Amino acid sequence: MSQPPPVPESLLSATIEHLQRDAPFDRMEQEPLTYLVSHLRLGYYPKDAIILTPAHGVAQSFYVIKQGTVVGEQVDEGRADEGANWQLVQGECFPLGALLAARPVASVYRAVEDTFCYELPVEHFTELIRRSLPFRDFCTRRIANLLEQSTLVIQAQYSQKSNAQQSLRSALSTLIRRQPVTCRPETSIHDALQAMQEHRIGSIAIVDEHGGPAGMFTLADLLAKVALTRADISRPIGSFMSTDLVTLPPQAFAHEAAMEMARRGVHHVLIVDNRQLVGVISEKDLFSLQRLGLTEISAAIHNATASAALVPISEDIRQLAHNLLAQGVAAEQLTQFIATLNDLLTQRVIALACREAGLEGLEFCWLSLGSEGRQEQTLNTDQDNGIIFRVPTGGEAEQVRAALLPMAGRVNQALAECGFPLCKGNIMAGNPQWCLSLDEWDARFAAWVQRGDAPVLLQATIFFDFRPLYGVTDLARELRARLHQKIRENRLFLRNMVMNALGNRPPLGVIRDFVVSDADELPHSMDLKCNGITPFVDAARIYSLAAGLAETNTLRRLRGIGEQWHMEQKQINAWIDAFFFIQLLRLRVHHEQREQGRPLSNRVDPDTLNDLDRRILKEAFRQARKLQALLERDFQF
Amino acid sequence: MTRSRFFKPRVEPALVSRIVAWRRRSAADLAADAAKMRWVVVDVESSGQNPCSDHLLSIGAVAIQDGRIRFDDGFETVLQQSHASDTANILLHGIGGQRQVAGEPPDLALTRFLEYCGKDPVVAFHAAFDKALIGRALDTVLGIDLASRWLDLVYLAPGLLPEIKERCHTLDDWAAQFGIINHARHNAVADALATAELFLALYPEGAASRHEPGQ
Repeated sequence: MSQPPPVPESLLSATIEHLQRDAPFDRMEQEPLTYLVSHLRLGYYPKDAIILTPAHGVAQSFYVIKQGTVVGEQVDEGRADEGANWQLVQGECFPLGALLAARPVASVYRAVEDTFCYELPVEHFTELIRRSLPFRDFCTRRIANLLEQSTLVIQAQYSQKSNAQQSLRSALSTLIRRQPVTCRPETSIHDALQAMQEHRIGSIAIVDEHGGPAGMFTLADLLAKVALTRADISRPIGSFMSTDLVTLPPQAFAHEAAMEMARRGVHHVLIVDNRQLVGVISEKDLFSLQRLGLTEISAAIHNATASAALVPISEDIRQLAHNLLAQGVAAEQLTQFIATLNDLLTQRVIALACREAGLEGLEFCWLSLGSEGRQEQTLNTDQDNGIIFRVPTGGEAEQVRAALLPMAGRVNQALAECGFPLCKGNIMAGNPQWCLSLDEWDARFAAWVQRGDAPVLLQATIFFDFRPLYGVTDLARELRARLHQKIRENRLFLRNMVMNALGNRPPLGVIRDFVVSDADELPHSMDLKCNGITPFVDAARIYSLAAGLAETNTLRRLRGIGEQWHMEQKQINAWIDAFFFIQLLRLRVHHEQREQGRPLSNRVDPDTLNDLDRRILKEAFRQARKLQALLERDFQF
Repeated sequence: MTRSRFFKPRVEPALVSRIVAWRRRSAADLAADAAKMRWVVVDVESSGQNPCSDHLLSIGAVAIQDGRIRFDDGFETVLQQSHASDTANILLHGIGGQRQVAGEPPDLALTRFLEYCGKDPVVAFHAAFDKALIGRALDTVLGIDLASRWLDLVYLAPGLLPEIKERCHTLDDWAAQFGIINHARHNAVADALATAELFLALYPEGAASRHEPGQ
């Protein structure tokens, strides 16, 4: 028989169906899938059996796990630590690199439980790559490809949600943006107008002594009933307010509010729950989602003349971030958006506070620290900031500090009102500890680099990522130069930083796939920040401090050190992809928590992720391990 | 022995030469390395539970060679019936009345099956049942005997794993022990595949785990 007999029809269709549960088979067409299945073999490997080792020579087959679990073990002599192992589960393929390069595998593949693998001889593997573009893409652009698919899944999931939001089918309770600004009927028109001016709103709700709605007063009322009648504005607002109110319960839909507004010719709807006024929805709010854009928000920040006006804008930034997340915008752009807008907002808050404080002639610079310093904030980032200033000739540091601290304290408060919680460790510019002259900072850093003990190393991860945000940036630049000089002179400090960084291992086990623990907030979970993001951030910081790189952003640091340390571009890209995937996952987790009204946390239960995300996350953790292994090796001095 | 005595008249002449060619093939060397040998793993569906009175509806098979199940070496047929089996029976194997009546002519189907098996040993779970049904069909339709060596996992499995035999009685029980998932129970090919997976799992030292580098 020269032609191989066809595969029994029922076996063919059942096998294709089985394969199609996983990437890349889910995107392959029928013809290449038929070709694939027609040339498959099925092998069995009992627990602990070796499937492939470098000793087998040039890779001969492409394996797809039908059922069971396989572990890959790096056989790098002298470094047989667990950091080099990874797990493959049902639906995963191996060994792609070895097959593509026609070389032996670099790892030992072992079954960790009874395992069945589909096997495709290499000549058919090569032919399949020729026949199927999705298969070729998958084999050659592994992480990038999985990421792309994951993005598609997110888009599909979220597009339904955002449509619902924009189609006015959401409940009014979700549109209430803040506590209503209210006054009593006996409040004078003057005082009411002042409150409206302060909150930059065009209307004010009037409530009775029980908090129930009594009336509404708008700028239109001001024109018609007060200004044109030349009424005395010290008179109580009760006699001028409109009492023809449109009220709806919080459960009512946005479209009902829109309809009522149109029908009654009003621009506001009062949301009343249990006879209490809980919110005011304006026409503008109903269409706010369409209004939220990068340019609109930056213009609004720029035009704000009081820090109170920045509060709703900060809420807009969060909403925009969620919308972008829903649209499947890549993590890199997303974090950039958030960072850029938060920077603008913070700069505006500082500018407004400085104007009030009248600090002319003082040379100082506001420093962003920690994740803000790295421009990697998520949506639950605490404030971390400080001030660096220059002591004028003949002046005293204490005097300058005393002048700056009230302004700094006001900025910290204003930022807190804008949703950036105060730092629990009090690492804030308003704390005299962190409002220091150039020489004071310098002396402090010098002492840290000398000591190099655990608390200092923890401080270093926050403070050494300082970035000038507002004011005289030269001060920050000079401090950076001095810091790098100190580190150059004390390499031992870097070694200590490495030891500290290696304490945060990615939660990947040898036998089970993810290592989870039972935290108070979420049982059976792992910390995406400490064990996922931090390994990348720490390694990038150490390499760039060693190289004297001024960058604080992890992405730019990784790109920068690639050149300095002669790392492979492909490897750097894999780290960046991995870093952003974990970051994106964190943002998504936050998004869901926010939707469900839960406090934001970095913990996630891997069982709640879909298969694809679990696989990418595993791959991302594997990349973190690789980076840590390299870090350990490069700083063994 | 003349040909006319062996082959009943209803066998098409074109098939006769194929059957002769099959008969001339040399018997499998049962002393050869079991890990390299070709095994045919078979399962049948029938019109009922009695191998003496019920008849063969379909045959499904996959081959194992070099310790691996070969997808390019499978076999499947639904034999043509003069009338369909009853509804309860159809519900079990899912071969509808129309498909039964429109099946493959039995002489052709069975000749193909002979060619597919060659002289290689045949494996089944409850082999007695499969052997009886196939044997009766071969005898009635072609007037010959498969004469292959049969290996029955119903006896082999408890013999190899006495510690779990108490828990396992059916193919499903044994499959569950190894996490084998049957994609379509009571489809002859799917059952044959599950049986083949069980065979590999029972025979690991002869299976894929003994890797042969290169070809």
